Amino acid sequence: MNVISRGIKNALRSPLRSGAIVLMLAISIGLILSMLVARGSVSAKIDEVKSTAGTSITISPAGVMGFAGGGDALTSAQLTSIKNTPHITSTSASLSDQLSTTDTNLTASLELGNFGARMQRFEGSGSTANGESAPTSTNSTSTRPAPTPRTSVTGTTNPNSVSTNGSDLNITSGVTIDGTSSALIALVGSDLATKNSLTVGSTFTAYTKTITVKGIFKTDNKFQDSGIIMPLATVQTLTDQSGAVTSVVAKVDSSDNVSTTVTSLKSTLGDKADIISQAEQAAASVSSLESIASLALAGVIGATIAGAVIVLLSMIMIVRERRREIGVIKAIGGTNRKVMAQFVTEALTLTIIGSVVGLTLGVLVSGPMTNSLVSNSQSSSQTARAEGPGAGLIRGGFSQINRNITSVTSSITPEIFAVAIGMTLLIAIVGSAVPAWFIARISPAEVLRTE
Amino acid sequence: MLVVKNLTKTFTTASGSVSALENVSLTVETGEFASIIGKSGSGKSTFLSMLGALDIPTSGKIEVDGVDIAKLSANKQTAYRAKKIGFVFQHYNLIPNLSALENVMLALEFGGMPMKKRKARAEQLLTDVGLEPDEQLRKPARLSGGQQQRVSIARAIANHPAIVLADEPTGNLDSETGKKIFDLLHRLSRSEKTTILAVTHDMNIAGKTDRTFKLKDGKIAN
Repeated sequence: MNVISRGIKNALRSPLRSGAIVLMLAISIGLILSMLVARGSVSAKIDEVKSTAGTSITISPAGVMGFAGGGDALTSAQLTSIKNTPHITSTSASLSDQLSTTDTNLTASLELGNFGARMQRFEGSGSTANGESAPTSTNSTSTRPAPTPRTSVTGTTNPNSVSTNGSDLNITSGVTIDGTSSALIALVGSDLATKNSLTVGSTFTAYTKTITVKGIFKTDNKFQDSGIIMPLATVQTLTDQSGAVTSVVAKVDSSDNVSTTVTSLKSTLGDKADIISQAEQAAASVSSLESIASLALAGVIGATIAGAVIVLLSMIMIVRERRREIGVIKAIGGTNRKVMAQFVTEALTLTIIGSVVGLTLGVLVSGPMTNSLVSNSQSSSQTARAEGPGAGLIRGGFSQINRNITSVTSSITPEIFAVAIGMTLLIAIVGSAVPAWFIARISPAEVLRTE
Repeated sequence: MLVVKNLTKTFTTASGSVSALENVSLTVETGEFASIIGKSGSGKSTFLSMLGALDIPTSGKIEVDGVDIAKLSANKQTAYRAKKIGFVFQHYNLIPNLSALENVMLALEFGGMPMKKRKARAEQLLTDVGLEPDEQLRKPARLSGGQQQRVSIARAIANHPAIVLADEPTGNLDSETGKKIFDLLHRLSRSEKTTILAVTHDMNIAGKTDRTFKLKDGKIAN
C-alpha cells in the first residue's frame, strides 16, 4: 500500500461524512457545468441574433406611423443625402397612399370596421379634436364625409420590401414589377384581386388613369393582401407628390458600421426623420439574454468558490481531527511530503467522485435549466413589449429575431466540459493547499503531548 | 550507544520561561534495557521526545552511535526517526483504518524497504510478537489492548532501530498482559541487541530493567 492508495482509502474511511462532502461538491460542480452551459448557449444565441439582425436601417418621416400621425414626407433632397451617407450600399424607398371610392373603380376588399371608421372620423376640414358623434350620423357636420372602405397603395422602388416575413414577395401569378420604372403597372394583393376578379393583364382605374395588373401577390397579411404595389415614381406622379417618400430602407455595408451610420443619418436629417436599425432592435431584444449570461458567469464563480470552500473546510476538519495520526506518521519516519501527498490524494479522490456525480447531474439538468431561464426571461420581455406603443407594427426581420431567441438550445461542448474540469481542479487545489500547510506545521511531538 | 550530555529544554510561556529538562546527562549501552521513572511533570515525555528527535533541545548533546541528532537537519531527523528509532506508545497509536499488517508495512515503507519485501517482513514481525495470521489482517479496533501493543512493538522494531523508546508501554494494560509485553521487550533487547529506553510508573517493571534513571523536576535524581 503506497501513499496514493492510503489517500484513496482514507477518503472512504467515513462513508457518511464522505457521502455528505461528495453530495455538496456534486451540487456545486453540477451548478458550475449548468451555468457554463447556460452561458455558452446564451452567448452563442446572442451572437447569432446579432449576426442575423441584418444591416438594414429604416428611415421614416418624423411623427409618421403607417397612415397615422403627422409631419412632412421625406423629400428627394433628403433621399439623396441618405444615399450619399458613407457605408450605405443601397436604398429602397416607398410612398404610401389610399384610394377612396372616388379615386378608383376598385371595390376595397378590406372591411372598414370600427378601426377604419375611427381613423377616418378625424379627417376633413371641420372635424373637432374630440368628435364623439358617429361618423355615419346624418346630423354630423356637412364637411365630414361618411367613412368608406379604402384601398392602400404602396409606391416602392423594391416590391420585395412589402413582404412581411423578410424574404422576397410571394408572387402567386404573373411577374413582379420594376420599382424604378414610371409605367402604369401594378401588383395586386390576392384578396383585392379576388374581390374585383382581377387577373394578370386585367386593368383598373386609379387616379383617373388605367393601370395594368402585372402580377398577383400573397403575404398572408390581410392588410397587405388588400392593397396595390406600384413603382415609386408612378405613385409620386399620380398623387402629385414628386420626390416625396414616406419610408426608406437603407442597407449598410457591414454590421459593424450600422451604429455609426445611424449616428451620421441622425446628424444629417435632424428631427425631420425617425431612424430605426435592426441591429438596435436586436440589441434591445438580446438584453435579457445578456443578463442571463452575466448571471450564469456569476453562478460559475459562486459555485466554484462554494466548491473550494466545501473541500477546504472539509479537509481542515479532517486534518484537525487527525492531528495525532499525522503526528504518529511523522514520528515513525513519514516525511511532510508523504503526509501532504496522502491528504491531497484524499481531497482529490473526494473531488473526483464529486465531479463525476456533479458532471452527470450537470448534464441532466443543464438543458432544462437553460431553457427555463430563457423562456421565463422571454415571456416577461414579450409581455412588456406588447404593452408598448406601436407594438402591432413591428414585423418582418424583427419576428425572425424573436424566433431565433426562443430557439436557444443548451449544448455541452468539449470546451465547456474542459472549463468545468478546470474549475474542479481549481477547487481541489485551493481546497487542499491550506490543509497541506496545516499538515506541515503539525509537530511529530504532538503524538507524545496527547499521551 | 546512547550518550546524553547536559541536555536542557526550556519552554517559553506567557508567564515566563519554564525548564522542562536541566543539564540531563546519561549513557545507555547498546542492547541495554533501561527505564526512566518519575512523577507526572518531571520531564519524562520531554526527554523521550528529545531522544526521538521529535523536538529540538535548547542546549546539550544527544549522540546515537556517535552522531549528534540535535544538529541534524529536519530531513535527516525524519530519516533518523524512520531508521534508527522505534516508538512504542501508551495508547499504541496505530493508524485506525489500516490493518495490523498494513501498520507495520507503513513503518517499513518509511524505512525504505522495497514494496515487494514489506509484506513478508511485516508478517514475520507480527508472528514473532505473537499475532495469529487472521489477527494480522484485523484493524486495530478489532484487536485487544495487548494485541495492539504487540503490533506497536512490531512496528517499532521493523527497521532494526538502534533505540526503541517506549512511553508507558504497559500503562494501558492489565498486569498480566503488561508483564507479557515487558517480557517481549526484554526478549527483543537481548535477541536483536536493541537499546530500549522505557518510561514507566510501574516500579515492578522498572525494577526488572538493566538500569533505572529517576527524573525529578527535569533533573536526573540518582
